[in-house]
Parts: sequence; structure tokens; C-alpha cells
Amino acid sequence: VILNLERFQAQARPRWKNLESLLEALESRPDRRLNSAEAQQLQDLYAQASADLNRVTHGALALELRQYLERLVARAYAELYYSPPTRSEIWQPRRWLRIFTAFPETFRRHTGYFALSVLITVLGCAFGGLAMHYDPASVDVLLPADYLRNPGERVHEEEQGKARHLDSAQIEAAFSAQLIRHNIQVALLAAALGVTFGIGTALLLFENGVLLGAVAVHYTQQGFGLFMTAWLLPHGVFEIPSILIAGQAGFYLARLLLHRRENRNLRESMREWLVLIAGLAMMLVWAGIMEAFFSQHHAPVLPYGFKVAVAGAELVLLTVYLLLIGRRKIAAEARSIVPSENK
Amino acid sequence: MTNIQSRLASTAVELTIATPEGVLFRLPVAGPGSRLYAMLLDVVIVLGTANGIGLLVYWIFAKAPGFGVLVITLAEFAIGFAYGALMEGFWNGQTIGKRLFHLRVIDQAGLPLRIEQAWVRNLMRVFDALPLAYLVGGISVLSSPLMQRFGDRVAGTLVVLQTPLAVPGEESWMRQKYNSFMEYPTIAVHLRRGVTPELASLIQDALRRRNELAPYARREIYRELATYLQSEVSQFPDELIERLSDEQYLINASGILFGDQRPSRVHR
Repeated sequence: VILNLERFQAQARPRWKNLESLLEALESRPDRRLNSAEAQQLQDLYAQASADLNRVTHGALALELRQYLERLVARAYAELYYSPPTRSEIWQPRRWLRIFTAFPETFRRHTGYFALSVLITVLGCAFGGLAMHYDPASVDVLLPADYLRNPGERVHEEEQGKARHLDSAQIEAAFSAQLIRHNIQVALLAAALGVTFGIGTALLLFENGVLLGAVAVHYTQQGFGLFMTAWLLPHGVFEIPSILIAGQAGFYLARLLLHRRENRNLRESMREWLVLIAGLAMMLVWAGIMEAFFSQHHAPVLPYGFKVAVAGAELVLLTVYLLLIGRRKIAAEARSIVPSENK
Repeated sequence: MTNIQSRLASTAVELTIATPEGVLFRLPVAGPGSRLYAMLLDVVIVLGTANGIGLLVYWIFAKAPGFGVLVITLAEFAIGFAYGALMEGFWNGQTIGKRLFHLRVIDQAGLPLRIEQAWVRNLMRVFDALPLAYLVGGISVLSSPLMQRFGDRVAGTLVVLQTPLAVPGEESWMRQKYNSFMEYPTIAVHLRRGVTPELASLIQDALRRRNELAPYARREIYRELATYLQSEVSQFPDELIERLSDEQYLINASGILFGDQRPSRVHR
């Protein structure tokens, strides 16, 4: 069919303009809802524009007109087939608070991946610890930072409080911010490395484990076991699990990507990944505060026994939170609920 | 001339969507260049905002600078991720930088992106930015058919180019009463068959921008286009060509290509 372009455009231009102004009106609304009259109008104009596009596609030489119509149809298509989140879904504070229960629920749904990251970290720990035990010279390779290599000096310094400034609360605050930022970045990387099919996540967890095991054995060998426990655990009981959860998120992502074609509810899965990250970020904020304000105070100020007891209490609370908060029978309920698009 | 054509064809990466109504439409995918510029602009905006907040915080925490640093460090960090995620999530796939460079993030299915997707693609920046200067993301973009960085692949999104397009208007040069090319219907058919859509729109552009071009440049471009058409596509007789300027040649040609004055009419 040879199209008389000029006449065709003259006839169709008014309806294209109508569609364009309708789309502009819709796109400027924050919730993008349309009433029934508008929906009808949008449907009609979209159908016409689609038909016009089809005619132009086969009438060769109207490249510009075709681009214009493609753009128009694309915009109308997006408006017609997109179901926007409801206003209440976005602005209800209650929904935001739900993260505190959604996090442990999501954690429990994917304990398998958590177990995997625990396993890899333990392997790393064992490797680091054994290497340090049988070959103390490997300390130079395993522990990169100077301060970790000379426990005696370090402990002495720490206990004397030499590293501390007079106005120490200020320094600690700034220090804790840096810790939080750095830890969240590392954890996020572990979770994001899931795109390498989990290989990157595994390597990162293993390396982390090696460091942990090597430091533990190195300090214990030199008789600073209690000091180290009191030094690392008050923040470590949140920091280490949060890295493990980051690993869990990473493996979950890897699995998600490998099976994305079979996954019918990719959106929900993505949300779970995000919930895990939000949860571990909250844990790391707490860990950063503890590390800066609590862990760095040593024996004369805070007895080691007290510090270890605090760490133990934290661990119990975290365990209770992760295992008991939120709905208990997730799996059974999830099966009975039909996933709806606008939940 | 052929150079220009092949280059046009090779750089145009497109996302093709087939709607349930059986219509195909294509969206031009944005290249790494414009995305980089948009990102740099966004970085400037984020740093500006963070430092603005920083000044305020320093003023509030004048007595406790350490806590000021705490607030600023964490705010800067949070803004860095939240800026992209919230802007894209609530502003239909655009940040300020993306809007200025006519870019938009959309779902792979041609729909607006969802808030989860916006968060995922922005959090994945920690991976795409490795090891420095978005090297991983850049390699991913260049190796992906839809120019997606890893964050886009995971979130199922891509960045499209959305330069505003006006309704194709009526062209003044289409409305001439008499077109001397009509007297040679056979050659006119050659012209119509021999011109690719890209070349046709090039001619159209050249004519439309008549007044934007410097006189010298215009003369050169018109001469080049007319010479190409005359020698490679449609050889109108010399006695006709001698009477026409290059510009008139192109006007006549686009009359044949786009106008109501189709060669087929002459036969009727």
C-alpha cells in the first residue's frame, strides 16, 4: 500500500496531539492514576497510534514520522501496562517499620545460603589459623597491616590509652562513622559479587575468614587471648554475622540470576535481596557504634570480663531477633498466599 | 556518503518491544558516553548537596565536631546511593543528570522501572565501579547487546535515549506547485527506489536546516548530496540539471521522495 504521507499526517496529527497531551498530563501526576474516562481515551488513542505506526512501518520512507510514532506508542504502552504502587504503599510509616520484621523473616527463608557462607568463612578461619600455627613466619603474608603483627606492642599501647586523644568522644564519633561506612561498603560488595555466580562472594568470605583465624591464633599464641576477645567481640558479634548475611545475600543473588528464567516472581526476590542488605546495614551501624565507643576501652577502664559479658548478651539478643521475630511459619503461609502484583 | 550511512546503522542500538496488540516499536538505547556525562553531573550534584548539608551540620555541631563528622560521613554515604535510587524510582527513571542528557532508565519490557529495580541497580554500583572508574561497568556496557552494566542486568533495566521529538510538521519545500522531475517518471522511480530511508532523512534534514547552516557549509552539503544523487542514484538529463541549483535539485528530489507528487501519479 502506498501511503499518501501528507494527507495521512494531516488527518492523524490531531489525534497524535491528543495522545501526547493526555500522556503529558498522566506523567506529571505523582501516582499516575487515571480515571475511567481517561483510561478509555488512552486505550483508544493508543490503539489508533499503534495502527498508524504499523502503516508507517511498511510505508518505507518516513523515518522521522516512524520514530515519532514509535516514541508515542512506547509512552502510551508504558502508561497502559504499568501498575503503579499505591500512594499508601509508599507513604505509610508502618510499611517502613516492617523492615524490622521482614529482615529476620527473610533471613530464615534462606538459611541454606547463610550456612554456606558460614562454612566458607570457617574454612577460611581454619586455613588462616593452621597456617599461623604451623608456620608463624607466614604472619607477614597473612596479616598485611603493621598493627596486627605486633600484638605485644599493640596491647601495651591500647592499655596505656596512647592511641587516644584527650577529647576522645569526638574522635570516636568520627571513627565510628568511618567504620560504618567501610563495613557497609565491604558487605555490599560481598552481596553484589553474587553476579559472579557467587565466586567473588566466596573468595571475599574466605579471605575474611583467613584474616580472622590468623589474628585469633597470632594473638592467642602470644598470650593475649582474653584481651583480643574483649577487644574484638563487642562489635564482632554484630560485624561478623552481618558479613555472613552479606554472603548469604550474595549467594541468593547468584542463585536468582542462574534461575531467572524460571522465576515467576522476580520482583519479590529482588525485594528480599534488598531487605537482607537493609538489615545488615542496620546491624553494621550498631557494630560501628560499639567498635568506636566501647571496644576501644580496655582493662583499667572496662574490665575484660565485663566486655566479654556484654558481647555475650549482644549475641543472645541478635540470635533471638534473627530466629524468633516476625511470622514463624513463613513457608506454610507463603504457600497459601497467592502472590499479588500490588501487595 | 556510504560512510555516514554505515556509521549510523552500526551505532544505533535499539530495544525492540512487541506489544500484545501486535505492534513493534523500537527504543534507542543510550551509549556509554552520554551516560558518563550524566553520571558526572549527578556526582557533582551529590557532592554539592552533601557539602551543603555538611556546612549546616558543622554549624549545628560546632561544639562537637566529631559528631558533625559522623553525621556528614554517613549522610554523604547514604545520599550517594539514595539519590540515584529515589530519583529514578519516583521520577520515572530519571535523575537530574539523566534528564538533562535526555536519558531514562526503563524496565527491559519497555515499562517504567519499579522502586525495587531502582534500588538494585544503584546498590550494584559498588560492583560496577570496580576496580576504579567504573571499569567493570564499562566493560559490561560495551559487551552487552543492550548496553547494560551489571546493575542493569541484575535489575532487568536499561537506559534509553529520549530526545524530544516534535510532530513531523508540514514542510514548506513540499508545497511547490511544479516539480520538473515529474517529467521524467522513469528516472523518478529510480530515485525513489534507490534512496535508503537514512539517506532520505539526511536530505530532509539538510533542507530543513537551511537557515541554520553557514552559507558556505550549506553550499557544500547541498552540492555533495545533489552530486551523489545525480551520479549514483538517478541520472536526470543534463539539460534539466543545468537549469537547477543544487538546492532546487534536492527540493525536487524530496518532492519525489516524500511529497504528494509521486511518480506513479504521472502515469494516471
